[in-house]
Amino acid sequence: QSGQISSIVGIGDEPQPSGLPTLAQFITFNPNVPIFSTQPALKRIVAIAFDRAIREIIGPVVERAVTIATTSARELVLKDFATEPSEERLRRAAHQMVQSLAGSLASVTCKEPLRLSMVSHLRTFLLQNGYTEQTLPEQAIFMMVADNLDTAVSIIEKTAAEKAAPEIDDALGPAYYSRRIHRERSVQPFYDVSVFAGSRYPTTLPDALRLKPGGLSSQQLRVYEDFHRISQSMEKVMRSTAPARQDPSTFFPQASTTLGQNPSQLSQPQEELPQVLTLSQALER
Amino acid sequence: GGGGPGYFQVSAEEEKVFQLVLDLTSNQTREGALLELSKKRESYEDLAPILWHAYGVIPALLQEITSVYPALFPPTLTGQASNRVCNALALLQCVASHSETRGAFLQAHIPLFLYPFLNTTSKTRPFEYLRLTSLGVVGALVKNDNSEVISFLLSTEIIPLCLRIMESGSELSKTVAIFILQKILLDDLGLAYVCQTYERFYAVCTVLNGMVAQLCEGQPSGRLLKHVVRCYLRLSDNPRAREALRQCLPDPLRDGTFLIALKDDVTTKRCLATLLLNLSDQVQG
Repeated sequence: QSGQISSIVGIGDEPQPSGLPTLAQFITFNPNVPIFSTQPALKRIVAIAFDRAIREIIGPVVERAVTIATTSARELVLKDFATEPSEERLRRAAHQMVQSLAGSLASVTCKEPLRLSMVSHLRTFLLQNGYTEQTLPEQAIFMMVADNLDTAVSIIEKTAAEKAAPEIDDALGPAYYSRRIHRERSVQPFYDVSVFAGSRYPTTLPDALRLKPGGLSSQQLRVYEDFHRISQSMEKVMRSTAPARQDPSTFFPQASTTLGQNPSQLSQPQEELPQVLTLSQALER
Repeated sequence: GGGGPGYFQVSAEEEKVFQLVLDLTSNQTREGALLELSKKRESYEDLAPILWHAYGVIPALLQEITSVYPALFPPTLTGQASNRVCNALALLQCVASHSETRGAFLQAHIPLFLYPFLNTTSKTRPFEYLRLTSLGVVGALVKNDNSEVISFLLSTEIIPLCLRIMESGSELSKTVAIFILQKILLDDLGLAYVCQTYERFYAVCTVLNGMVAQLCEGQPSGRLLKHVVRCYLRLSDNPRAREALRQCLPDPLRDGTFLIALKDDVTTKRCLATLLLNLSDQVQG
């Protein structure tokens, strides 16, 4: 194996990963995969391969996720905060929502393509550096990728969440402004006229569901705070799964279904859902 | 109960619905409310505008959707989690069907949060239901022949997603997916979009041809066959597509293979005859 290491060429010419400088330090090297954990040159190959994989995917995924999340968050917070006079509360809720939505969309979109791309780049780099199709350590490659997929995904997820914040601020600029101006010029309760002009419904909702003049209660704001909790708990899940992966039995894709779930549940028979039935009836009409 | 300026004549049953809608916005009460409301949505006509305009409901439903994203890859979605998110989707289907809320629903890009579900490939029941119910939301959008809906969908990845489900979904999923494709084609914008490049036309035609081949094996589904014939017929309205179809329309549609399957379906038989007439040389130009 050491012969393969000495044959590694060209790595020094690789441009240093920029923009994603932290990837190398987050890569997990499993002690049960000694090929990668004991040879520094292969460690570098792994870092470069994974960096390439992330770079290949991150741009379009983040852009799409941020665009969608910003649009959804803008439309929904403007509607929900139509009587809320505080631009700070509006901003806070909008950030919580847009960051969670953009992060979730980015992560669900990139996960599978990223996994394939990580495997493919790692294989390519190893083939360029002394391995052949016959000697390629396929299992070790899959383990390396399985161990580090969540980290790679979380880099993309975080990037999307961070990019979404200034986007939503841009989109809500006029809404922040109109609240500030209203506060300076008027003592009347704030109303976003454009929301109430758009439809007769906001004012005709039953009492319990109608927005009250004067703004939102802390109880109401909780639904937006839940977005923050979702993103936080996703990060926590990621952190807590890292040590669990030391167990070799969790390395392979089929074993990863055991993340707190009993695989037998997957095939459990399920009641016919009413919406499925109405749907097929509707199509017959 | 107070019904605002009198639009609502509040009965005890309606009070119950309003309370359930309110319950959607709290984590503690949401699961039960989802189940109850998805049962009631057929019987309460004005549910869609209430769901859309009541504070926090759509954000809460989006949380339901994004919270199952981590269970999509690798596929670990349980029956229970699938049921819960499908109940949330059923409520969104109601928002998508209602003329008062459809425009706002599109403007907030909500359908795009369903695409990760359509992009799954697991054949287990929880995933089949998830895809079918998500298709149901898109189906509800296209049902009313609305050009705004079609232009929105054309700006998204819905056609490739539908094509893949038409290739490999369950029979019911295939039926809804081809129903969506057919509705897109029936719109002039949609037909022009699909026939704009050879690649697009070829992708659609390949999947339709594959469906014809599948329909030849065993007992053909009349429902699917009906949609397949209509898609071809509509494609034949476009001069370039008509030219291409002269070459690539599958033989079973020409040689009477489906005569028995269509013996009670006069309309589809007529569609097939018109299609063949369109493709014959006599009506060229």
